Amino acid sequence: MTSFVLRRLGHAVFALWGVMTLVFLMSRMIPGDIAAVAAGRLATPEQVEQMRVTMGLDRPIVVQYFDYLAKALTGDLGSSAYTHRSILVEIGEVLPSTIQLVLLGMFITIVVAVPLGIVAALNEGRARDVAIRVLLVLEGGIPIFWLAIMLRWIFGSIFGWFPITGENSLGAAPPDVTGFTILDSLLFGNAANLADSVSHLILPAVALTAPYISTLARNVRSNMLTAMKSDYITFAVSKGVPPRRVVMRHGLRSALGSTLTIIGMQFGWMVSGAVLVETVFGLQGIGSLMHKSIVNHDTFAVLGSVLVIGFVFVFTSMVVDLAQMLLDPRVRAAQGGKS
Amino acid sequence: MILEKEPLLPRNSISGFVSRTLFSRSWPVIDSIAFALVGLLLVLSIVGPWLAPHDPYAVDPLIALEPPSAANWLGTDDTGRDVLSRLLAGAPLTILAAVSVVVGATVIGVLIASIAALSPRWLDDAIMRVTEIFLSLPSLVLALGVTAVLRPSLSSIIIAMVAALWPPTARVTRNILRETMTSAYVESARVIGVSRLRLMLRHALPNSLDAVYVLASMEISGSIVMMSGLAFLGVGAPPPSADWGSMIASGQEFITTAWWISLFPGLAITIAALAFGLVGDAIRRINDPASRRTR
Repeated sequence: MTSFVLRRLGHAVFALWGVMTLVFLMSRMIPGDIAAVAAGRLATPEQVEQMRVTMGLDRPIVVQYFDYLAKALTGDLGSSAYTHRSILVEIGEVLPSTIQLVLLGMFITIVVAVPLGIVAALNEGRARDVAIRVLLVLEGGIPIFWLAIMLRWIFGSIFGWFPITGENSLGAAPPDVTGFTILDSLLFGNAANLADSVSHLILPAVALTAPYISTLARNVRSNMLTAMKSDYITFAVSKGVPPRRVVMRHGLRSALGSTLTIIGMQFGWMVSGAVLVETVFGLQGIGSLMHKSIVNHDTFAVLGSVLVIGFVFVFTSMVVDLAQMLLDPRVRAAQGGKS
Repeated sequence: MILEKEPLLPRNSISGFVSRTLFSRSWPVIDSIAFALVGLLLVLSIVGPWLAPHDPYAVDPLIALEPPSAANWLGTDDTGRDVLSRLLAGAPLTILAAVSVVVGATVIGVLIASIAALSPRWLDDAIMRVTEIFLSLPSLVLALGVTAVLRPSLSSIIIAMVAALWPPTARVTRNILRETMTSAYVESARVIGVSRLRLMLRHALPNSLDAVYVLASMEISGSIVMMSGLAFLGVGAPPPSADWGSMIASGQEFITTAWWISLFPGLAITIAALAFGLVGDAIRRINDPASRRTR
């Protein structure tokens, strides 16, 4: 078990190194003068020269590479060519907003997709199963940025049920302590702030979930189908275990194995989906930061965001793998056998 | 030598793949509709620009933001351009581009997979590790990074998407190839002295291509959505390009007064993604190795 944990850690470290290397290579593929791009459009020739020295672009590429690794590991991603502030600080300011959005999105996805998958599996081939599958196919094909615009238009503008932009209404924002508006509202026990924060997040979170509900529900359905056809289920049924208990305890538990992996992957995908959704709803997250940086030709800020999202992605998939080993005896056995 | 003249298994070709797919017995209605739609979309994405009733780039402030009418079936945008004409003109930029991305990513993926499967263990490991690194970034984020490095244009979106989409294909194909290389018929060919390269090109690869086609057909739908997402973010072809993602972006600010500018391109993307998604799924079911083995 320890060896599995160590191996998984090693794997994560390798992936992080790989992502850093990839981002470094991308930054050196910028056409034209890299220092001029990093210094920004308004930089004077002297500033560009200074940037060239700061970035070490006058030194051999191998030195630049190790320099980059050292800087990235200490959190120095350079400064924005547009705002001239530290890229890591800018990302740190907006990351909580994205994580909050993604967590709410994950919650909605799980709450909707798992029951849908179970119901579909238990009614395999019947009208209910077909209806759910058609629904999932439909929903899986909608581009989330378009869904976001439509939701905002229909439920925000026409019906006026939800606010259409930003994190909080004017004057309803909780004091900024953690950066997570929901958590901050809870910390200060302010119900009005909480309601305001949540209502600003509902539409973006729903828009974000569309393709992931589809993937997850289909995964639960097929796992559940396999599980319900296995011998131990037949045995449990013939033993007289109540149907509800068979489904929830015997079927679902084993079906959720690979589902957990998918949920972990979806966390990373949702962070990238947030790029599209945050732009529409005017949320200040890493997605809208990336979009802003792209519009402003702030290439190094974009690459910094890519790196941070890569770190988040690698980290969550490691956590999920470890959690799966703790929760699923089959994985534990397989890993124990190997090591 | 007999083995060389008459392979144990029939070689799979694209024509065999297509005919098996098209003349399959299990054929639900919804799949027929999806296949018809995909056919229509592919035709439109080639001849669409010539079918446009109006000039998709002709700016006319006098008819700006007109709702759908007999003259402009899907209305006009903020500069008076006909939305339907722009949809038709944008079809190649969205669908044809998404399909070519998948073709490009598949070719590169298969090439890398073949090299890995042919190589000695250490090189194979190294290649797969590099593939894994690409997989440790969400594809949209990777593509955004690449487009930020290159200048915004249709070709940089295509390059970025190919860079983001080849790794899954490479990994799956390499695993299939490795498995095929240890199967009995390849082993027996090896025993009679067929070279490794020939084993790969004549025996293993042709018998693995079905899975590759299935994978590719299932990727098109996601590729269309991703393509339009990148264009929506403004990293694609610069204005006045009529690709569907940019059309949605440009209509965004007029959504309360002129909903048709954003609504119709989004519907077009959804329908295209659905149709290609259903077709991909149908192709997977028909060519499922599990059901083919029992054939």
